[in-house]
Amino acid sequence: MIIAIATNENNLQAVVDLHFGRCTWYCMFDTENRKNSFIENPAKHNPEKAGCDAAALLIDKKISMAIAGRFGSKVVDIFRRNNIQMVIPETQQTVSEIINQIK
Amino acid sequence: MGRTKKDRRIQMAPHFNGFKPQGIQCKTGEDVSINFEEYEAINLCDYELLTQAEAAKLMNVSRPTFTRIYESVRRKIAKAFIEGSSIYFEGGNVAMASWYRCTQCKINFTLRENEDKFCPFCKSQVIIENN
Repeated sequence: MIIAIATNENNLQAVVDLHFGRCTWYCMFDTENRKNSFIENPAKHNPEKAGCDAAALLIDKKISMAIAGRFGSKVVDIFRRNNIQMVIPETQQTVSEIINQIK
Repeated sequence: MGRTKKDRRIQMAPHFNGFKPQGIQCKTGEDVSINFEEYEAINLCDYELLTQAEAAKLMNVSRPTFTRIYESVRRKIAKAFIEGSSIYFEGGNVAMASWYRCTQCKINFTLRENEDKFCPFCKSQVIIENN
């Protein structure tokens, strides 16, 4: 299972970004081999539909869960239709803290 | 008897209960209650900057109905601002897209279709449905 985590820096100490569509990087974490990689968000500066473009990119990468501080309503709609789980942490956490929680 | 209202679809309920004015000794005016569909209308239109037609589609109502909801919430907010009243979020004819919460991991999450209800992090089945 691949998990996408929205962050603003490309290292594991970065905190989870507050907004899914406007973050700079996505950390792709694979739960099977517990490896991670970072991909840049190409839609960050789109005047509109940043979240939709980012979501389309991540769906191509076959993710099954997305983690961010907030999801826009268009993104929520897209993810629900594609059966992708969304997770919103209530406190500010770094990417490594999130990864350690996932079993 | 009037026709019953169609349920408005909203993506997420506000995670707090409302607002209160600062620096007034005693309350003036009545409390203003904003219901969930109105909260969602102002969120879609003025925070996420959708057009009214797009927002109406997301909420599963017609465009004129959306405009009425939106007008109503703008008036209520203006009333609260000018009269210095508290705002509460409550009620409304809504169908909430379901979100769940795990108190141990302190996360909110959605579920995939055709899957058992458990927390994605700790796999505990003790989760609360938000509404």
